[in-house]
Amino acid sequence: MELALAWRLFKRELFQGQLVLIILAITLAVLSVSGLARVSERLQVAINGQASKFIAADRTINSPVEIDTAIIVAANDLGIQHVKNLQFNSMVFAGDKLQLVTVKAVEADYPLKGDIELITGKTQGLPALGELWYETRLGGILGYPPSLELGNKAFVLSEEISRLPDAGFNPFASSPVVLMRMEDVAATGVIQPGSRVTYLYQFTGDAQALEKFEALAKPLLNTSQRWVDVQSGDSPIASAVKRAERFLLLASLLGIALACAAIGIAAQRYCQRHYDVVAMLKTFGASSRQIRWLFGAHLLLVTLVGVVLGILGGFVLDYGISQMLPVEIAAYSPPYTRPVILGLATGLISAFMFSAYPLMRLLAIPPLRVLQKQLEGLQFGMWLHLLLSLTAMAVLGYLYSQSLTLTLTVVAAVLLLGVLLSVLGFIMIGAGHRVGMRTTNPLQLALAGLRRRARQNAVQLVGFSSALVLLLVILALRQDLLNEWQKQLPENAPNYFLVNIAPDESQPLSSFLQQRAVESTDIYPVVRGRLTHINDEVLISNAQKKAGETGRVGISRELNLTWRNTMPPNNELLEGHFNQKSNEVSVESGVAERLGVGIGDKLTYNIDNQPLTVTVASIRAVHWETLQPNFFMIFTEQALQPFAYTSMMSFHLDSSQQQVVLDLIQQFPTISIIDVGAMVEQLRQIVDQVSLSLTLVLVLVLLASALVLIAQTEAGMATRQSELAVLRTFGASGWLLKLATGFEFALLGGIAGVLAVIVAEFTLYLLKTQVFELQVFMHWPWWGIAPLAGASIVAVLGMWRCRQLLNKSCRELLQPA
Amino acid sequence: MSNNSAIRVTRLNKTVNTQEGMLTILDGICMEVKHGESVAILGPSGSGKSTLLGLLAALDSPTAGEIHLDGTALSTLNEEGKALLRKQKVSFIFQSFMLVDTLNALENVMLPAELAGIKDAKQKAEAMLTRVGLSHRLNHFPNQLSGGEQQRVAIARAFIGEPKVLFADEPTGNLDGANSDKVADMLFELNQENHTTLVLVTHDLALANRCQRQFIMDSGELTEKDAQLRSVDTTEQQQNASEGESEVSTWN
Repeated sequence: MELALAWRLFKRELFQGQLVLIILAITLAVLSVSGLARVSERLQVAINGQASKFIAADRTINSPVEIDTAIIVAANDLGIQHVKNLQFNSMVFAGDKLQLVTVKAVEADYPLKGDIELITGKTQGLPALGELWYETRLGGILGYPPSLELGNKAFVLSEEISRLPDAGFNPFASSPVVLMRMEDVAATGVIQPGSRVTYLYQFTGDAQALEKFEALAKPLLNTSQRWVDVQSGDSPIASAVKRAERFLLLASLLGIALACAAIGIAAQRYCQRHYDVVAMLKTFGASSRQIRWLFGAHLLLVTLVGVVLGILGGFVLDYGISQMLPVEIAAYSPPYTRPVILGLATGLISAFMFSAYPLMRLLAIPPLRVLQKQLEGLQFGMWLHLLLSLTAMAVLGYLYSQSLTLTLTVVAAVLLLGVLLSVLGFIMIGAGHRVGMRTTNPLQLALAGLRRRARQNAVQLVGFSSALVLLLVILALRQDLLNEWQKQLPENAPNYFLVNIAPDESQPLSSFLQQRAVESTDIYPVVRGRLTHINDEVLISNAQKKAGETGRVGISRELNLTWRNTMPPNNELLEGHFNQKSNEVSVESGVAERLGVGIGDKLTYNIDNQPLTVTVASIRAVHWETLQPNFFMIFTEQALQPFAYTSMMSFHLDSSQQQVVLDLIQQFPTISIIDVGAMVEQLRQIVDQVSLSLTLVLVLVLLASALVLIAQTEAGMATRQSELAVLRTFGASGWLLKLATGFEFALLGGIAGVLAVIVAEFTLYLLKTQVFELQVFMHWPWWGIAPLAGASIVAVLGMWRCRQLLNKSCRELLQPA
Repeated sequence: MSNNSAIRVTRLNKTVNTQEGMLTILDGICMEVKHGESVAILGPSGSGKSTLLGLLAALDSPTAGEIHLDGTALSTLNEEGKALLRKQKVSFIFQSFMLVDTLNALENVMLPAELAGIKDAKQKAEAMLTRVGLSHRLNHFPNQLSGGEQQRVAIARAFIGEPKVLFADEPTGNLDGANSDKVADMLFELNQENHTTLVLVTHDLALANRCQRQFIMDSGELTEKDAQLRSVDTTEQQQNASEGESEVSTWN
């Protein structure tokens, strides 16, 4: 019976538009979660997909020996596709010319991701048996011979490679690459027991299987084997992916928080509207159980409609976005399960937790209210409301983001807003007593209105301010992230690296580039050396440490060392002074931390079998994401010049300047050219995709904010009507009331603006230091703009909502709402 | 207590806490209403009429004293017990109609019957609305009905559960003269047809005089009006009516 009644009430209220606000609020919460979950999953996959092309797979294991067969068995069991490739250095001979090359021997399925780019275009094919494909610059060096010898076998040189999908980005990989079939390796006889080779095992599969695979495979790796995924390492892509991912999560989280606020306000309004109905039902003998069922079922129906609409809306949103994305990304369709479950959970949790308090008050309405209208029954503490809302927000936040830091940051921001609002509410009520009730001045009238509605205003401020806080946070982060990415990828980011520049080529090369008006970075000399001692203490390797030896662990490979007399651009001096004396060295902060060295420590290197001892004079921060030559250690010229060195540099060429590259290859055949243009292009694509998603999130947040504003003015409409009726009856003119209402909303918006800036700065501080690792700074212009914007937006929206009331005649106002 | 009593009140007190201290609203009220009787409670605003009505109808609890409603001592019931008693034996008519805005006339009348689990609630509601002359307004919503029509819907709603006792709080208070009379006629007709006990709180002497007995509430004390005074009031009322005043009340 209660269900039938609930259904009837629901049906009627739905068609009469009484439930629009609360359903819209729930819809928006669900829509932002389900829509964004799918959008971000799609983008995530797209971004990862783009990025995984850089390792030509989803996961790679690098190993000096063949890996445990159990790993391969696990991959097969999980349906993960895999290939085994071999990489080693060897000399090739073409007539009387010889050259050191990096040989990549691949199995038939290579590459699992991405394409091999030949000079003639992309291909999915591989060299035939007995054939070698070679990097363009090898052709330049050897003079394009028809064939060459590698070990005991002669190969036909058939295609020129411009880029391999897993070429990676290492400007120091100085030898040109040749690609051959794995089946041909044995015939060359190059690989002998003890030869230095790297096995590259590449894997690809769906996300779930990969996750399981990772859990199974990682423990089976030994210390010399390295697990590589798209997100490991300091690659520019990895850091862009991580930040974008966190931002999407955060933005959706804030969107949910805002939609929840809207639900809370709409639920309160919904319950207030039913106070009399509950009193009447109780008077007619409805039991508590009947009333609980009736409104529980009613709310459930409302929630279900909101959830269904939200999930549908989410799919529409996702479809809309997929139309804007490049075809290959749009073609990827993530499963619907997660967005649907998330949407459903969001709808149910937010609707029930946020309406629990208003609903409890509704159910506690005494039947005597039918005779005494002012009765509202039990007054539960506001703390209960706050606790329920915060719990709901935290549960949802964690459910969605799986990140405790993000969730706690949002909760902390909400708490701060709560404290500020309580203090402000207290002040407003206190100050209100000094404000007269003169009704001739619209400003005085507005202040009096604010005072009269002090409690209600405090609630309204929650909505206005949280909407503004979210807007500010999202705007600032979006801008900061875009700036950060843009900084890393300036329009003329270097797209060519030149390495192996002989000392006597530096000058002619500079003139060559100058003649062609190509702007390049400085030339960096490169000397290879190994760090052996810190303050006379012998360093040991990781492997030795594992074997039980005691001592400080050093860097178990040769480093590329350079010299400079001035700080490189894009580096930041953190401590000390940059190389002033000949025996000084500047160390990158990350490596300094890892080695535990600071200013004044003595570092000894082994370069060309000679020791070189220098003192740490400065610590630098290096932005590794920039496509510039970057170095861990920078010496002075005097210290390194005695050693043999080659140099490197980078420069930017646009597509019309390709001739420069050809000329360069001809004039400087021994210089190695690395084309990173394709990489830069892909990075930019990622940034574009992320920007698109950020913009969409912003639109959603804006919608949610508008909804909160409307929900709130709606809630205060009945009181406002009776007040206006009284004022009009006592002769207040129309313009006075309009001005006063305008001022009241503007003041409220202004206060909300100030609060929002305080909370936004605090939130941004937490987010930037704890989550995004971005530079923290104050946004001074906001302190003026936000209150002004708050005042204007709230005044306009408020006046728009009240326009009918304000235009009503006195008689119309006096009729009950 | 006589078995013939619909309502029996003994030494009823109601005090409330206010900022100025304890305030006595009802002071030692005693009354007895027989089954099928109609009684009016008159009195100035703030005299405690509505408080008494709330207590009699088991909507509120007294500070002291006892109320028996159709033989049941209200003090022995908890809130759920009182709700059950109201569902089975009591009904209401209010000054502000208290219809659910979002339900139409038929659905509003069905509401108490559905709560009581009556199976043919719809047919009964249609019959009741026809009885009050609103068979052509079944699907109209409260805001599409006049005040008089809304109160007739409320009367239909009140009688659908065939209550033993009907409490009416200023049932004509929001209506103009013509509508007021029509609603009052309907109320008394249905009351007689159903042998319902009627307890009516009003300012309207004419309406009060249509009841068999009148009680006057003043400063928390209740006294029954005698027959002589009743006839004087009727004369005054007639005079006032002839001077063109409608709904004149001595107590305003």
